[in-house]
Amino acid sequence: MSDIPKIHSIKKTDKDTLLKWYRLLFLGRTLDEKAPNYLKQAIGWSYHAPAAGHDGIQLAIGQVFDRSKDHLFPYYRDLVTNVSAGLTAEEIIYNGISKDADVAGGGRHMSNHFAKPEWNIHNVSSCTGNHTLHAVGVARAIKTYDSKGVAISSQGESSVSEGYVYEAINGASKEQLPVIFVFQDNGYGISVPKKDQTANRKVAHNFEGFKHLRIMYCNGKDVFDSMNTMLEASKWAEENQKPVIVHANCVRIHSHSNSDRHELYRDDNELGYVKEYDPLAKYKRLLIRYNRATEEELSAIEAEVADEVKVAHRKGMAAPHPTPESAMDYVIPEPYVSTKYPDGTHNHEGESLKLIQGLNETLKAEFRNNPDTYLWGQDIANKDKGGIFNVSKGMQQEFGKKRVFNAPIAEDFIMGTANGMVRFNKNIRVVVEGAEFADYFWPAMEQFVETTHEYWRTKGQFSPNITVRLASGGYIGGGLYHSQNIEAALTTFPGVRVVYPSFADDAAGLLRTSMRSEGMTVFMEPKALYNAPKAATPIPEDFEVPFGKARIRREGSDLSIFTYGNTTHMCLEAAEKLEKEGFGNVEVVDLRSLLPLDNETILASVKKTSRALVVHEDKVFAGFGGEVASLINSEGFEYLDAPVRRVGSTFTPVGFNRTLEAAILPNTDKIFEAAKDLLSY
Amino acid sequence: MKDTGIFYSFRSVKTGQQVKKILKLLGSDNVTAVDIDVATGEDFMKFTNYVLAVPTWFDGELPTYWDEFLPSIEDESLKGKNFAIFGGGDQKGYPENFVDGIGLMAEFLEERGGKIVGFTSTDGYTFEGSKAKRGDQFVGLALDIENQAALSNERIDAWVKSLTKEFA
Repeated sequence: MSDIPKIHSIKKTDKDTLLKWYRLLFLGRTLDEKAPNYLKQAIGWSYHAPAAGHDGIQLAIGQVFDRSKDHLFPYYRDLVTNVSAGLTAEEIIYNGISKDADVAGGGRHMSNHFAKPEWNIHNVSSCTGNHTLHAVGVARAIKTYDSKGVAISSQGESSVSEGYVYEAINGASKEQLPVIFVFQDNGYGISVPKKDQTANRKVAHNFEGFKHLRIMYCNGKDVFDSMNTMLEASKWAEENQKPVIVHANCVRIHSHSNSDRHELYRDDNELGYVKEYDPLAKYKRLLIRYNRATEEELSAIEAEVADEVKVAHRKGMAAPHPTPESAMDYVIPEPYVSTKYPDGTHNHEGESLKLIQGLNETLKAEFRNNPDTYLWGQDIANKDKGGIFNVSKGMQQEFGKKRVFNAPIAEDFIMGTANGMVRFNKNIRVVVEGAEFADYFWPAMEQFVETTHEYWRTKGQFSPNITVRLASGGYIGGGLYHSQNIEAALTTFPGVRVVYPSFADDAAGLLRTSMRSEGMTVFMEPKALYNAPKAATPIPEDFEVPFGKARIRREGSDLSIFTYGNTTHMCLEAAEKLEKEGFGNVEVVDLRSLLPLDNETILASVKKTSRALVVHEDKVFAGFGGEVASLINSEGFEYLDAPVRRVGSTFTPVGFNRTLEAAILPNTDKIFEAAKDLLSY
Repeated sequence: MKDTGIFYSFRSVKTGQQVKKILKLLGSDNVTAVDIDVATGEDFMKFTNYVLAVPTWFDGELPTYWDEFLPSIEDESLKGKNFAIFGGGDQKGYPENFVDGIGLMAEFLEERGGKIVGFTSTDGYTFEGSKAKRGDQFVGLALDIENQAALSNERIDAWVKSLTKEFA
C-alpha cells in the first residue's frame, strides 16, 4: 500500500482548485502547441522540447513550489512547470522568441529555457542535469541558515546517466539536504531508449542504497498522483531535512524537440499508445465524468486561455529584440574597488611573511570580516591538517565545521555546489579549493564553464560570488599530474577573472579582493613558492590588489619581460645577471592578473624599452603568452625594435624524472639566453 | 454460478480476444460483459462475481480506463464479492513491473473488502518484480502474448476451470 497521503483526488479536491489546474494545464498545452508555429514562420523558438505527456508532474512541481522559500531548477521541457509556478503566457513567449523582455535573461539563453530568477526559478544550463549540483548547493544554504523551504531539481530520466547527477545525489545524501530530485521519465533521451542508459528500467532504483534518501514513484501523467507525491516530497524533505527522489512516469507524445523526428524510431502502435494516455485529455474526462465541471465551464476556460495567448502573442511580436551593443553588458560584475591601495602596491616594512602565510592569514581575516564566507574542498580540514599544503590550517578550528569543511573527491561537485550555495544570499562568498592540484580541476570544467555563463546569461540577475583556489605549476618533481598550468584554458572563458601572483603580498592582496568582489575569480597559487623565502614579503594587514593591475618588479630601459607565477623570480634573477654581465637593463613586469589583463602597463613598458619577452611556465604553444604577444604586436608594433619572443615549457607534458622536468620547464638560464638574444637583435 | 460480470475495454484488441476465450469457457449466458470505458459505479456493483481484464500499461500502471473508473467505487464496500483478475504483461520488456496492473487492482479491491480469487503459480514466467506476486503465486492470471503467446490458451483454460469452482 502506498505511503503517500491521498490529499487530492477527483472527488475530494475543491472545484476552484480543479478549475485552476485545468486552466494552467490548458494554458501550458496551448503554448506548447503554439511554439512550433514560431519556428515555421521563422520568428524564433528554434528550440522547443514539448511538455505534452509530462503535464501531471509538471503541474504538481509548479503548484508545490513556493517562491517565498523554495528554489526551483526546471529543465528545458518544463514549460507547464513554469506556467504552473506562475509565469504568464507573455513571459513564456518572450523567452520562446528571445525578446529583451524575457525574464530569464533577455533572450540571451536558448529558447524553452524558462526561468525567473527574481522568484528563485533559476536559469539553468542546457547541459542536462547540470543543475542538480546547484540545487544541492542551495539546499546546503537552506540548511546552514536554518531556513524554511526546499530545492527542487527537475530533469529527464536519461540525464541521470550524467556523473554529476550521481555526485549531487551522493552529496545530498551525505549532507542530508532538503532537496527534491524529480526524474521525468518518458522513456527516451532524444532517440535513445532508456534501456541504453542504465540496467534498471526505473533509474531511481539505482539509488535505493543511498542513505537518508527517500524515493517516491508516481504516475507523472496523472494530476492527482503527481500532486499527492510532490506535496509529500516537499513536506518530508523540509521536515526531515533529507533528500527525496520523485520518479514520475511520463510519456513523450511528440518528438524530443523540433529538430528530432520520432517517426524514425517509434512505430505507429507506440505513438498511438502514448497518445491514449494524454494527461490533459484524461484530466478533462475525469472532470466531466465525476461532475466536477461542465463542458460549458471548461469551454469558457479554453476560450479565456485562447484570448490570453493571443494578447501575449501580440505583445511578444511587438517587444524589442536585445540591441547589438547590449552584448557586452553583464560579462562580469564590477569588482571590489580598493580605495587605500588603488594600484596594488605598498611601502609597508616589517617582517616578511611566506606566501602560504599570506594566504592563510588573509583567508582568516576575510572569514572574520564576513560571517557569510565558506570554504570547502578536498583535504581541507582534519584536525591539524588544513588543505593538502596547509593553506587553510586552523580555519576549521576557528570558524567551525559549518563554514570550513571537506568535500568528497568530486571536483564537479565542489564547483557546482559553490555555484548553488551562493544563489541563496548575495552576501555569501564561497572559496573552494577547486581540486587538490590544478591538474585535477578538469573534471570540474563543466561546472566552471557553466559558472562563467551565469552573470551574462541571466542578464546580471545572478552573480556567482566564488573564489576558486588552485595550487598550480611545477618545479616540485610532481610529474604529469602535479605540475600543470591550466590558465591558458581558463582564460578563454568570458565571465571569470584569473589571477596568478608571484609574491606573498600580491597573493594576500589579490585574495582579499577576490573574496570581496562579486563574480568568480580563479586564484592560481604557485605551489613551489608557498614556502620559498624569495617569495616572502612584508604584507600590510589590510592589503588589497585590484584586478588588472600589473606590478613592475624591476625597472629597466632595454627590454621588458612580462611574466607571472613561478617564472617571475627566474626573470628577476636573469635580469640581475644580464645587467651584471653588461647585456642591458631589463624591466620585469609581474602581470599578477591575467584576466583582466593590464594592457596599459604592458604597452607603456614596451614603449619605454622597445623590446618584449613574454615568459611563463606553461607551454609556449597556445600558452597565455600568445595573448600578451598578440596585444603587443597589434597595439604596440610601432614601439618595437625587435620581434616579440616567448619562453615557456616545451610542448610536452611535464616529466616526473628530474632530468626531464628540467628539460621541459623554463628556468633562469633559458630566460637569460632568450633575453640576451633579444637585447642584441 | 451466481451473477457474474466481466469488465474490460471494448476498444481493446488483445484483451478483447482473451475475453472472448474466457466468455466461451465460462458460458456467455451466465456472464454479462460490461465496457469499462463507459461503466458507472452502479453498473459495477450489480454482481457477486467479477472477471476483470486489467492489462499493465507502461512501467507498471493501470490503463486509463481503469484509472478513471476506480474513483466511482472507491467509497463502496466490496464485501461478499469475488474478483478474478487477468491481464497482459511483457516479462522481457518490463521485467521489473510484470503484470503490476493485476496487483494494483487486487490491492484496491481488497482494501474495500473484496475477495480475490483465481490465484495462479508464477512457475513458467521469468521476471524480476511484480506487484501481482504473493509468495510463489500471482493474484490472478498473467498473460504474456509478447513472449509466451503459445501458452495463453492453456493458461486461460486452467484458470477458468478454477474460477468455476470459486465462483460457485
